[in-house]
Amino acid sequence: MAPALKDDKGGKWSSDLVLDLYSNLLAEIWELVSALIGEAILAFLFNLAIRKLGEKHPFLNSLKVSEDGISLDGVREDCRTVAPVEIHRGFQSLINHLSHLFSALAEGVINKELFPKVFPKVKEAERIISQK
Amino acid sequence: MRLIFKNLNVLRSTINAISTSIEIKEIVESAGTNLPNLFDFSSFGVFWKEDLLLFLYQEESCPPSFAQEVVKNMIKVFSILGEEAVDADRIALQVEKRKLRPRQMMMDPKATLKSYLTLPLTVEGEILGCISLNSDQPNAFDAQDLQFLSVIGYQMAATLKHFQRFSSIKNIAIYDTLTGLYNRRYFEERLGVETQKYFYGGTPLSLVMVDIDHFKKVNDTFGHTEGDQVLCKISSLLKTSVRKKDTVARYGGEEFILILPEAGLEESFVIAERIRRLVENTPCEVGQAQVNLTLSMGISNFPSHRAKSKEELVKMADQALYDAKRGGRNKVCIFAGKSAQWTVPT
Repeated sequence: MAPALKDDKGGKWSSDLVLDLYSNLLAEIWELVSALIGEAILAFLFNLAIRKLGEKHPFLNSLKVSEDGISLDGVREDCRTVAPVEIHRGFQSLINHLSHLFSALAEGVINKELFPKVFPKVKEAERIISQK
Repeated sequence: MRLIFKNLNVLRSTINAISTSIEIKEIVESAGTNLPNLFDFSSFGVFWKEDLLLFLYQEESCPPSFAQEVVKNMIKVFSILGEEAVDADRIALQVEKRKLRPRQMMMDPKATLKSYLTLPLTVEGEILGCISLNSDQPNAFDAQDLQFLSVIGYQMAATLKHFQRFSSIKNIAIYDTLTGLYNRRYFEERLGVETQKYFYGGTPLSLVMVDIDHFKKVNDTFGHTEGDQVLCKISSLLKTSVRKKDTVARYGGEEFILILPEAGLEESFVIAERIRRLVENTPCEVGQAQVNLTLSMGISNFPSHRAKSKEELVKMADQALYDAKRGGRNKVCIFAGKSAQWTVPT
């Protein structure tokens, strides 16, 4: 596995940068979708997606999701040795899978609200990764 | 703004109706009655995993092909959410048709599913089933519909969870934990009901008191764990030997009791004798050994024995059992007052 890279300017690990970005993004998804389907169902869907992807992206298993929200504390700890690109891929898969679940449940109703906000941020994460 | 208030009021009364329901069918009916005031839909479905029940509440002009499509789609979505395939053939479907639309908007007989919203019924991370709103119109639902449906789903899931908990408490209250037979408390209750039927309708009723012969010897020789297994084995033989309408209960220790509704003396004797022979001819594995167990049984009957109460009927069956024991065991004995009627095993 490739080592975590260091950001040139702020001296911050770029893994942390990617994590910060996805942390904000997940918080935004949580806020938006929980208003539509409620915290209990959303937490259930998050955990379903994590179970599905946890084998391929083990760090996702440290993501704690309950009706109170999402905690990335465990992920930050586990991601010290994970390459930023891996973190990006893991979260990207998570968001893709959630989006798949949302459309299985409500066709375009959730994704129509979600896409305009999520898509630019995933692109931004890709840009950060490609710069390294 | 006025529309939102109106919708919130409808939502409130829907939630109230769901939360005060006492069975799943009532939940679906409460929801179904109120939902047309909130959404335009062709069909509303509730799937409950535990009992594999799927209720469809739908517009009366809804063609069967549309209902089938809805069922198929709900099962597909549930399989994704429940991470397991659901066998459609095992699902019990209940359809309730109601007039949800004016005549001029009746559904086309060839209507197909064009849009839907499906949400899991989930409590504490556990999935209990799902609910679904379905329409033959494209883009029939929006974000507000989803919000309302999720609130309804949340209340429905909470109510279903209560049912689940209540049903497990009820199970503890009526079943014997070792044998899985009804317990004595349930027996008393059931006997009360059947006795009423006799007193008010004249329907005959028999009781068969059963005791395993020399059970103490099994416990002393092989230990209590093996003894418990013998009780389970006999229970299973009893359960499979009676009619569907009969009640088999553990009366206490190695004693069992059967309530045979609508059975006269002759029929109950045939049933008891069949059980006696079955047990006699079924070798029972106890530890490393094989033993042949036998049963003694006593029968009492309404109206033959002129018992004046259920308690008296039980006493008569007990007396007959005592006579069977005294007469050498491995016998079925019919209550006959002071002098018992013997039956000799053949």
